[in-house]
Amino acid sequence: MLTSLKGSWCLILGASSGMGRATALAMAKEGANIFGVHFGTAAQQEEADELVAELRATGVQVSFHNCNAASKQTRAELVPVLKELTGPEGVRVLLHSLAFGSLLPFLPQEGQEDVITPRQMDMTVDVMGHSLVYWVRDLYVAGLLPRGAKVFALTSRGDGRVMPSYGAVSAAKSALASHVRQLAVELAPAGVSVNALRAGLTLTPALLRIPGSEGLARYATDSNPHGRLTVPEDVAEAVVMLSATDSSWMTGNVIDVDGGEGLV
Amino acid sequence: MPEQTTSAAAVLDTEDLRSTIAEILDVDPSEVTDTADFKEDLDVDSLLALEILVTLERKYQVKMEESNLQLMRSFKVVHDLLAEKLAA
Repeated sequence: MLTSLKGSWCLILGASSGMGRATALAMAKEGANIFGVHFGTAAQQEEADELVAELRATGVQVSFHNCNAASKQTRAELVPVLKELTGPEGVRVLLHSLAFGSLLPFLPQEGQEDVITPRQMDMTVDVMGHSLVYWVRDLYVAGLLPRGAKVFALTSRGDGRVMPSYGAVSAAKSALASHVRQLAVELAPAGVSVNALRAGLTLTPALLRIPGSEGLARYATDSNPHGRLTVPEDVAEAVVMLSATDSSWMTGNVIDVDGGEGLV
Repeated sequence: MPEQTTSAAAVLDTEDLRSTIAEILDVDPSEVTDTADFKEDLDVDSLLALEILVTLERKYQVKMEESNLQLMRSFKVVHDLLAEKLAA
């Protein structure tokens, strides 16, 4: 059954930019309250403050926190805050939109001696992959994932294709897709669905940090059957649409949100 | 947490800064020597480097740039960067 998002709570990990930001705005427009976690310096905090003001202007409740979403301490601090804010309703939508990882190659390249360290590899897979599991578990244990709740993770074509500096992130995306399947099965009895959205190439701040991203963007613009790149709002729209049902029957999928880019 | 602020900018005490960084890295302060390479010797990744940057911004009420992350190679470099920001 389709139900309104008005008055529900949406938890966004990685809320200050890119798809997390666009989803915050789209969910707020539907009347959902936004709980955002983002991590950055004072300069990025100013951008987050502007977003918070924009969200509040829609009349919803907003709670933003500048801290490392992948740390155990952050979860320990924020889950009780969420419980207090959301009350018995819990979290209707969780969006995992963390894009922070190492973009170093596995082997030394000409003119680029730096290679990824074990620590950087572990950090990348932990932030962009495993942290989904730990957030979902902590929310579940705290009774914050009610029947009908939706969990979304974001992946990309880099989960199966190879780009020079994307090795660790690709590993993280592969782990993420596996975690989505596992969580979907473990959460099915609770009536909570878990899906990954695989966006087409999108010009987010995270993409622009990838060496060679301009070339990728040119290629994707030319090849996308819609004749344009994916924008964060395309992904936000998909999250809103898929969150509008209380059914958990559609679960454990990787759903392409790419205008057909992956087909050609 | 974002609400945490101090009323006045903290003074730069070298050993206090060393302890602060050691706590973030979860090592003994004696390991954070002036010249120990963060990446090679102390196994610091870019997320820990950002943790250091954000912690210092809050503790010392300074503004760091994301580009400062690349510069953070040792305690001495961080100390000097911070001293420069506090003097500005």
